[in-house]
Amino acid sequence: MERTVGQPVNDSFLRRIRKTHSRKFSTVVEVKDEQASQVCSFRTAENNPINHNTDHIARLYTVPIDIQRQIFQNGGLPGKFMKQVTTFQECSIMVRQPAIEIISYLNQVDYTRPVNKYVLYGKFGVGKSLTLCHILHYAFAQKYVLVHIYWAAHWFKDMKEVATSVLSPGCMDLPIDAGLWLKHFKFQNSKLLSELDLKVSKDYVWNQREMTSQGTSILELVEFGMNRIKYACGVIDALIKELKLASIAGKCKTMVVIDGFNAFTSSHTRIRNDNKVMVLPKQVSLAIPFFDITKNDWCNGAIVVTVDQTANKDRRESHLPRYLLGKEGFEHLDPFIPVLIEDYNIAEFDSMIEYYKDRKWIRNITSSGQRELELITNRNPFVLMDQCKFL
Amino acid sequence: MYFLFTYTLFRCNLTSFRREYSVFPSHYVEPIYRKDEQEALFRSEEAMNIAHQQVKPAQITDTCSEFYDARVLKFINTIMRNGDRKLARTLVTKSFEEIKRIQLQRYHKAKTNEEKDNIELDPFVVFHYAVDNCTPVLQLINCRKGGIMYKIPVPISPVRAQHKSMKWLIEAAKEKDDEERFYNMLAKELVSASQNQGRAVKWKEELHKKCQANRAYAHFRWLK
Repeated sequence: MERTVGQPVNDSFLRRIRKTHSRKFSTVVEVKDEQASQVCSFRTAENNPINHNTDHIARLYTVPIDIQRQIFQNGGLPGKFMKQVTTFQECSIMVRQPAIEIISYLNQVDYTRPVNKYVLYGKFGVGKSLTLCHILHYAFAQKYVLVHIYWAAHWFKDMKEVATSVLSPGCMDLPIDAGLWLKHFKFQNSKLLSELDLKVSKDYVWNQREMTSQGTSILELVEFGMNRIKYACGVIDALIKELKLASIAGKCKTMVVIDGFNAFTSSHTRIRNDNKVMVLPKQVSLAIPFFDITKNDWCNGAIVVTVDQTANKDRRESHLPRYLLGKEGFEHLDPFIPVLIEDYNIAEFDSMIEYYKDRKWIRNITSSGQRELELITNRNPFVLMDQCKFL
Repeated sequence: MYFLFTYTLFRCNLTSFRREYSVFPSHYVEPIYRKDEQEALFRSEEAMNIAHQQVKPAQITDTCSEFYDARVLKFINTIMRNGDRKLARTLVTKSFEEIKRIQLQRYHKAKTNEEKDNIELDPFVVFHYAVDNCTPVLQLINCRKGGIMYKIPVPISPVRAQHKSMKWLIEAAKEKDDEERFYNMLAKELVSASQNQGRAVKWKEELHKKCQANRAYAHFRWLK
């Protein structure tokens, strides 16, 4: 009646002998893991997104652990994907058509012209955020200054604290969220900013005693904002203006990456002012600089944003950008390049299944079982991840 | 009018003798919904016998999916309360996911290949081991003899034994702190039960011990 897991197989002893024997006496040189992964049909050894091109489509590449720690330390990877990363002990992202498309645009574009805007859109769970992560990694490798919001709706849905703004009257401050964003910004860019050594172009007066004078470095400005979170929103405003000026002057390249941009144009927030009246995103002092940087009145940079049904509360019936952004938001972003992200195609689906098999997430699945998964999930990446969880 | 009504009732009773609760009369055949069972049926002569009989419709849980497991379905039904199958199903799926995560963590921690081979990564297999390990072979029934209540060890039927083992597993998972999630505890319990450890296995052993202690009364089974 009683059984335990992993009863020794009869021939395991023999197998062991054979294993040790071959290891000791065989003349065949052991194949290294890196070489083996090159042969894999679902993996690519090219872990630098700068070199990604159409040959790598439908293959997974691994984000090196140190870069992952630096870019996604304070958020960026979606929560459920993060759980997979800890289980699989590696952060692998699939190289897909939309990411390659945007990377090729970024390689070819003329940076003296006003910035281009790329809007990623698609149904729920098709991988908009992960495509954004891939592009973020590319921008990091190309030494862009990253201005990254990993989920814009957080600020208007579950903000930490709301205060009346001192610096911009009539607006509301989100001091803790602003401080956290500055920390995120510093984490992603500290190495690059200390290399570039950007300076503040004018004096910023915070109150009677405290001011940031002309010529102090941008990192000091960021640190001031982190220490005095009362002025963090004002610091972000100043920082974004400085980054724009520096980009126009050609001192640095700036990449703006915002996930769920339509939260900024939503007509519903949970922020209330002193009279208990709802405050729209354009009256939130934290959002104003990001409206400013998504205009195309600057150059030497790029803007990649996603629009998502789950980012706003009032518009959820369609995934198309015009509907999600509303009239004002659409006119604000216009002109932009829309990039549609779709469900997996057959090759991508197969390589994902192969990857799950390699990570032991699913085992001994038959071809008819695979076909069933394909039909159940309709090759939607998120639903596939969900369906494979209990197998 | 009343006479006619009672007459029809009487006739009904004459024809069926027993009142059925089911919508479907008892001569309806149970449906066969697994593809392999259907193939086996068509190969045998049984198919000819039931070819022209009426068949009950399939239940909502009857599926020809590759990932169907009758015992797991039973387990889902045992967890289910107030007919909330969706919730019960989610709990079991989540605990299976957690089993995989626990086992994969151990798999990555293991250094030698031999250790890695010994770790079972399939949550279905872990579940089957766990239920098998918690299944008792005896049970105690109460019997009153001369004003004294005796507990008599008797053999247990396989269906009842399986139910008891599932109940123990669920009960063991339910004893938890408020912060813990039921499915996480269930996953831990299933993993430890698959290795013959944990509370559910202990309860089974306790029952066996009690049966052993009361073996002097075993013959009361025939004296009843």
